[in-house]
Amino acid sequence: MEYIFEGIVRAIELLLTGNEETYSAVFVTLKASTMSMIGSLALGIPCGFLLGYFDFPGKKQVRALVDTLLALPTVVVGLFVYAFVSYRGPLGEMQLLFTIPGIALAQTILVLPIVISLTATAVESLDKRLRSTLMALGARGKQIAIASILEARYAVMIAAVTAYGRAVSEVGISMMIGGNIKWHTRTITTAIALETGKGEFSMGIALGIVLLTLAFTVNALLTILKKRST
Amino acid sequence: MNKTIKKYLVLFLMVSCVIGIGSYAVAAEHVLKMATTTSTDNTGLLDYLAPTFRAETGIDLRWVSVGTGKALELGKNCDVDVLLVHAPDAEMQYVADGHGVDRRQIMYNDFVFIGPKNDPCAVKGRSAMETLKTIASQKGLFASRGDNSGTHKQELILWAEAEIPVPDKEPWYIQTGQGMLNTITIASERNAYTMTDRGTFIKYEANWRGNPPLVILVEGDKSLRNQYSVIAVNPKQCSNVKYDLASKFRAWMTLPKTQQLIGDFKLLGIQLFVPNAHEK
Amino acid sequence: MSETPLYRINNLKYRYENGRFLLHIPEFAIARGASIGIVGPNGGGKTTLLKILALLEDPDEGTVYFDGTKVDRTNDAMKRSVTMLLQEAYLLKRTVFENVAYGLKVRNEKQGLTEKVHRTLHMVGLPPDEFAQRRWHQLSGGEAQRVALASRLIINPRVLIMDEPTASVDQRSAVLIKDAVNTMREQFNTTLIVASHDLIWLNTVASQVFRVYEGRITGLASDNVIDGPWNPESDGLWKKVLPDGQVMFSATPPGDSAAKALLNPSDIVLAKAQPDGRDGLSARNIIRGTVTLLSEENHSKKVLATIDLGGLSVISRITRRAAESLHILPGTPIFVIFKASSLRWE
Repeated sequence: MEYIFEGIVRAIELLLTGNEETYSAVFVTLKASTMSMIGSLALGIPCGFLLGYFDFPGKKQVRALVDTLLALPTVVVGLFVYAFVSYRGPLGEMQLLFTIPGIALAQTILVLPIVISLTATAVESLDKRLRSTLMALGARGKQIAIASILEARYAVMIAAVTAYGRAVSEVGISMMIGGNIKWHTRTITTAIALETGKGEFSMGIALGIVLLTLAFTVNALLTILKKRST
Repeated sequence: MNKTIKKYLVLFLMVSCVIGIGSYAVAAEHVLKMATTTSTDNTGLLDYLAPTFRAETGIDLRWVSVGTGKALELGKNCDVDVLLVHAPDAEMQYVADGHGVDRRQIMYNDFVFIGPKNDPCAVKGRSAMETLKTIASQKGLFASRGDNSGTHKQELILWAEAEIPVPDKEPWYIQTGQGMLNTITIASERNAYTMTDRGTFIKYEANWRGNPPLVILVEGDKSLRNQYSVIAVNPKQCSNVKYDLASKFRAWMTLPKTQQLIGDFKLLGIQLFVPNAHEK
Repeated sequence: MSETPLYRINNLKYRYENGRFLLHIPEFAIARGASIGIVGPNGGGKTTLLKILALLEDPDEGTVYFDGTKVDRTNDAMKRSVTMLLQEAYLLKRTVFENVAYGLKVRNEKQGLTEKVHRTLHMVGLPPDEFAQRRWHQLSGGEAQRVALASRLIINPRVLIMDEPTASVDQRSAVLIKDAVNTMREQFNTTLIVASHDLIWLNTVASQVFRVYEGRITGLASDNVIDGPWNPESDGLWKKVLPDGQVMFSATPPGDSAAKALLNPSDIVLAKAQPDGRDGLSARNIIRGTVTLLSEENHSKKVLATIDLGGLSVISRITRRAAESLHILPGTPIFVIFKASSLRWE
């Protein structure tokens, strides 16, 4: 029991004194998850919009596939991306293995289904009168699409925040693709795994507190957005 | 209000984008990527050596610590430039297969058998082979890494030397599939024996403030020596690897000065690694 | 050239998914600058007809001509000259200002935007100082409807189509909507097509009200509709028994005994006292009833009197002078007189 209390005390100390190792992991995490969020939003919002907006043969199947991929295990993505970015793999030349962009790439794949699915749902659940209203006001093709996305903006932001939460908290990808390299690709979660493996509970707890704070922030944002979207 | 938040959000995204890409761009030159085992990383040896290496050669050493099996695999896939591992038989096979070159022994530490203080199978003071035989015959609980790591490979060699088939499916043989410290923790919970490198055990002992439930029962046997070697990834197989930097690292590790440094490395006051680059 | 109607419908058909007709209009025309009202039960095809006229939907068969040319929904200029206020209008999730400005923004007409938006908001009784920066969820039902109307008015369309614009608004909003629409029509001679259940309100904006029933335009809405059953009499007349036992005769045979008869309100004469026998009168039908409602018809300046004939309501159109000389008020007993040949069949 004693070491838990000690861990917490030490954790607060690490955070308050600006411990370099701790903050390095925090920044790596933020960097990777922010990059992956940008990537997944850039790809996912248009895809989700197309999926939710248009009717096409096979739409139901695509939808079912995307919804299945929501539960994509991080280790599977890690393995899959490792096979691609390993030097022997098709993307080996890009030297993404053990880099933050590598982590971001895999996280993008991980959270893409979340963004696509939630965006599609957001667009699908737009008011049926919206399209007629926009047309009646004189909007055409692209203007209608843009206005539709704007109408769904709170729901799309919810998608983004949810995706961010998933990217920040995953460990499998960061470990497999990032390699947990100190100062470079050690994220909060891999550091926790490592420090716990080394028996350094205090560091693990300190990082856990940061992660929890992040999770709380993300959740608070979600609550605000959900209120706004209705 | 709303617009200000949006502006800051955009700014934040752009800055993090630039930082992300920027740090990636800087990464390219004079970085030596090494795959090593958890034992060198967890003990802090590499954190201790890397700054000196960088100061003297200008090379930024970055390592991933994985099991020896995974480390060899990373080398085979050209994903790292150099290996620092401890599984001599597998290493020699690896070099023979053409995946690695310039294997050079650097240092060793040793394995120990640890077990419950009351030593239910009475293995204290025996040789490594006898210990395994005794545990197997009495079906004493034994925790194995089971993760193809150097430690695990060493354990498998000892089973073979004791002429006992690996008790893969025996109920008393616990394969954790995890790192050394986790495996020791599991062994503590189950009151089991296990084999560990000394470094990890020292850490474990320190966590328990010198009064751990598991203690060293068998040590000093020649077959418990844990030899670490450096291997460069074969540049003929992997055109992308930085063979020149790998060679510099190998040479630097065998310098008398570095060897002295390794010998001086202490964990909680105890020497962990014995340099032996120049031992015949 | 100016005689070309603005809309001409030729053999229009629109089907439900199950193939049944929702709309079937063989021939219909709307003149430039007309103000057309449409009434009829829900599900009768009113909304679909309005959407087709608003160029938001295509008919399954038949042709609609707009301004002399065949309707082409890929023709943006044509589409943009017509706008529609949907039933329970939808506001974009933006400020009131942005909602009203949207139509001009998509047309890239940004000159004097603020001034135009403010002027239009004034037209619908929403002071810009108070309302322009409100968000879509900070409005009452009536205010939201007026914002939606303003966002149509600002476009200055050639045709304004409205579907039940007063269905869920307060009395004051209904008046403000009427005033805004009438002001607009006075200024720009905008063609107006409105569907509404509120006949009294509708009469204040529309000069002609049509009835759409079971997918057909069945005539002017002011026509009285009299249900069957109709039974043959020995003298070649057809008879309907009213709920209170009085009878009504038709000179022409119905399609079947359950057919509906139509009776133009102008064909009904009112009398305070019962005429002396049928011999001195050419009309066959003299029925006793009570006045229940009097209202003024906007465009004709005539009076519409609703009379209860022992359970059947009919409307009679009379001049104001006639109403005054008869001294009729709601509750006045009255005799309704019309020819048996005035009844037409649907």
